[in-house]
Amino acid sequence: MTQKAKAEGVGQKHPCSAVSRRQFLILGGASVAVLATYGTGAGAQQLVSSSYVRTVVGKVSELVPGEATTFLYPNDDVENVLVMLGEEAGGGVGEGRNIVAFNTICPHMGGYMGAADFHAEHSVLGPCPLHLSTFDLTKHGMIVSGHAVESLPQIVLEIDGDDIVATGVMGLFYGYNQNPSGEA
Amino acid sequence: MNETVVNNRDYVPLPPPDAEILTTACSYCIVACSYKVYRWPVGREGGQAADQNAFGVEFPTFGAPWVARSQHNIGMHEGRPHHFVIIADADAEVVNPNGNYSVRGGTLAQKIYNPDTPTRDRLKYPQIRIGGILTPVSWDLVTDVMADISQYILSEYGEHAWGMKTYSYEYFENTYAISKLVNRGVGTPVYAPHDKPQAAEDAAGLDDAGINSFAASYEDWGSCDVAFLSGVDPYETKTVLFTEWMMGGANPGKQMIFVTPHRTMGVEYGIRNGGLWLPIIPGTDTALHLALAKIIIDNGWQDREFIDNWVNNRWEIESGYGRGTRNTRWQWRTTWGRWQSDWEDFQEFIANEPAAELEEAARITGLPAEDIRRAAEMIARPREDGTRPKTSFMLEKGNYWSNNYMNTASLASLGLMCGAGNRPGQVISRGGGHQRGGMSAGGGRGWLSPEKHPGRRKKALNVDRWVMDGNVRFMWTIGLTWFPAMLASQELASRVADMTVRNPNQPRSVDRDHLFEVFKERVDSGGMVLVDSDIYPVEPLNTQYADIVLPAAGWGEVDFARCNAERRLRLYAKFNDAPGEAKPDWWAIGQFAQKMGYEGFEWEESNDIFEEAARFSRTGVLSYNVLVREAQREGKTGHEKLRELGTTGIQTPIRMVDGQMVGTQRLHDPSNDWGEIEGDTFDRKWLYAFGTHTGKANMLKTPWTNDSWSDFYEAIKPRAEKGEIWITNGRVNETWQSGFDDLRKPYLAKRWPWPHIVIHPDDAAPHGIESGDLVEGYNDTVYVQTGEPVGVLDGDLSFSRLMENGHIRTTEGQFVAVAIVSDEMRPGVAKAAFNYPGSMANSVCHAVPDPVSGNYRYKLGRGVLRRIGESAYKDNFLEMSLKPRPIMS
Repeated sequence: MTQKAKAEGVGQKHPCSAVSRRQFLILGGASVAVLATYGTGAGAQQLVSSSYVRTVVGKVSELVPGEATTFLYPNDDVENVLVMLGEEAGGGVGEGRNIVAFNTICPHMGGYMGAADFHAEHSVLGPCPLHLSTFDLTKHGMIVSGHAVESLPQIVLEIDGDDIVATGVMGLFYGYNQNPSGEA
Repeated sequence: MNETVVNNRDYVPLPPPDAEILTTACSYCIVACSYKVYRWPVGREGGQAADQNAFGVEFPTFGAPWVARSQHNIGMHEGRPHHFVIIADADAEVVNPNGNYSVRGGTLAQKIYNPDTPTRDRLKYPQIRIGGILTPVSWDLVTDVMADISQYILSEYGEHAWGMKTYSYEYFENTYAISKLVNRGVGTPVYAPHDKPQAAEDAAGLDDAGINSFAASYEDWGSCDVAFLSGVDPYETKTVLFTEWMMGGANPGKQMIFVTPHRTMGVEYGIRNGGLWLPIIPGTDTALHLALAKIIIDNGWQDREFIDNWVNNRWEIESGYGRGTRNTRWQWRTTWGRWQSDWEDFQEFIANEPAAELEEAARITGLPAEDIRRAAEMIARPREDGTRPKTSFMLEKGNYWSNNYMNTASLASLGLMCGAGNRPGQVISRGGGHQRGGMSAGGGRGWLSPEKHPGRRKKALNVDRWVMDGNVRFMWTIGLTWFPAMLASQELASRVADMTVRNPNQPRSVDRDHLFEVFKERVDSGGMVLVDSDIYPVEPLNTQYADIVLPAAGWGEVDFARCNAERRLRLYAKFNDAPGEAKPDWWAIGQFAQKMGYEGFEWEESNDIFEEAARFSRTGVLSYNVLVREAQREGKTGHEKLRELGTTGIQTPIRMVDGQMVGTQRLHDPSNDWGEIEGDTFDRKWLYAFGTHTGKANMLKTPWTNDSWSDFYEAIKPRAEKGEIWITNGRVNETWQSGFDDLRKPYLAKRWPWPHIVIHPDDAAPHGIESGDLVEGYNDTVYVQTGEPVGVLDGDLSFSRLMENGHIRTTEGQFVAVAIVSDEMRPGVAKAAFNYPGSMANSVCHAVPDPVSGNYRYKLGRGVLRRIGESAYKDNFLEMSLKPRPIMS
């Protein structure tokens, strides 16, 4: 059962979970990688993340600007959207720094926002079908209008030739108290 | 944690099975969602298996309860570090069933005092400004000094020189203490709540119609067929009321009509679900209401049966038994029957009112005539089977903060015609702003106000003006920003600075006698001693101007009680320690009052006041006296009895029926008539009828052209020759009623680090303004009323007459905000962030109140826009999204 399928159980007070405990072992002693640095000197701002599995999630040559596709990462339970925006974005990769990926589950109450909910004109994902939250994909998934108390989790990307490689996650996936790392 | 690093903790601690669970309600908006606090000592955590955590749920979980990282914090409890998880109550049966929440309440955990977070700037000890610098002192010294100078001022200058301006909502225990000090201790008329310049009704037109502003229940907004939303998008400002009850509720298919110049997300949702957006020109709602009334009458769509049963006819209006209508606040402010009406008279008025003509109303309001007609059909046209749509009418600040009396009175009349006001799904109510935590100790001294309505009738004192005119020698403000919340903000702030920090008499030591001598010379030279109580530094009120700053303990740090928009009373439990020597405001008032020699201020704990105030609640809509009497019978405290009711609480007025405490879902509803009065229940007619002498509602006339409005409106409209546009103001979902905390919450501080202004592309283009640019709004003619004119004859308080008599001063004002250029605004109207830290958008608004009600016309700012340059947020990926608010497929 994917995160999307389970999210449809929103509203249940005690939703089921068929995911095995093995997949959610705490990442003891996880190493920390600096993903990006903004500015210089003492005011530099860093985005940091624990270790995750590296997975090829798409090809640059196959991306259609303004159209979103989905992929699973860091494991088969978690669905994300991959898009090439029409503008530069925080954490964006590729020549235009405009290729970004985000989780599809609203961090407010678990509504599903898929590829069809991407708005290329504004680089926004949403609104969430439950309570209408929208997320700015140029600003690390920040809430534009709505209720989520966290940004939409962003999948950290790298470019390797034509490959788009997912290397980590910024943010905690809805429903989890510990992100899955994708490691077996 | 280093603040310069964006924390990417991909993990959140879970409460263990033995975590303590306390109930509370949200600190912020009127909806007051139910919350649970999980508390356990630092050193251990719960696990992912259902039997390893306090929720009894296996993680990952795909519904509530879930814990976001911003819903966890570390704080102190009984002097020891504890984990705190604060999440919406997934078991809630009322308000927010299944644990729905807003971004504001969802981040409540971030408001816990934790020096590792931006809350480290909490005020922790009393301070006195010495040589310009706030210096820590003891509670004993500071209350001595306050009492010394207050006694001097009261004996030398009288009670009119001693004033307070405080929140009206931060719990019954505090507001009762404030009221007791102001009314019964000092006995001064110089008092105003935080959101008004004077202590009077918010929506006086509703009161005069006999409708309580908070008569409705959330179920009414859920079950209506049509919601007419005047000056409000409840998605932005009543979030869970909208997302839970209006998008859902008993009738999820309802149609919504939004009257507001700003197309926010709720408006967009409404448009796409059979509703209507009426982007009105600010201040002109009355003309819309008149036109709707005319269409309804001309087509015979009014609810005849309801009008016959529930609206006063001419004889009933004049019947005058009891106090009658002749000598009431209604008649005082409307100068004896000027706008009094009944159904027959009202029809005649509408037939002859030029602004009620569709084309004229369309011209005044700037709305398409066909949309006005469509709105009339939606709210009132009976269906083919003869049944009527159940229409409810909500109003908020776009309505009553733009043209206060006329907009509220005309909306009341429109709603009554449609059969709304006292039955399920057919209500007329405010949506609300902050929660309902005001409790009076009675004995108000309003009759000492020097201001008078025409006919020399009682009128509440405009405290801001009284201060600006130099009449106040001692001012104590509690829990407010004052200047940015009021109008002509820069002028008000500047006058307060003149009387405090710019006065030459400034203390040089913390010696009690020295402080008294300096403050005595200060006030004798025309200056003012300013005391401010708050939980945080407030720029510039206590950071720059206040002589004495007192640290307050607030939400979650003391047991408190208050109600929400449907009058639901809950206990807001203490769950963590207040920082340093921060104390609840009632305690500070008690210390001061005892040093003044006033009796009856010797409270030891919060519950003492809750129980004392119960008796004073009896006659009002927030009456909880029955609960306290029941508690006493059971040998419990009032707070304990309320705590037992958890997040469900009980809706006031609380009544005793068949030996059980019963809440009141809806006011004015005839089904509330419960026969014999039982126990400590207090019988009030407005429980089961309207709040008038007959129990029937009053129709009110509101001619568009009149001397309380027309000359002011002409004077303050944007001037095309100067290139001005309307610069109205408002708040957005993410900062609604939470602005005081938001910049201490890392996520919300990132979302809105600085005030913004939404500008239509047509208004931005001539100035080269793009989203992300810094923009100045500037008004070279900001009117400020001066003096306390006494009304003798009709029209004495009109804008023109005030101008003739030298009661209007012309000033200027400006503010700077970050532009968001979007077609979500009506062209010609820009909307600036209201009362958000950083700049004061209300500086371009006129401090000239509605002469009928005394309320300001907050929304009616104007000015030119000037591009300053690019803001820090224009090309920044970490802060302040500049995207439009209404984005839908």
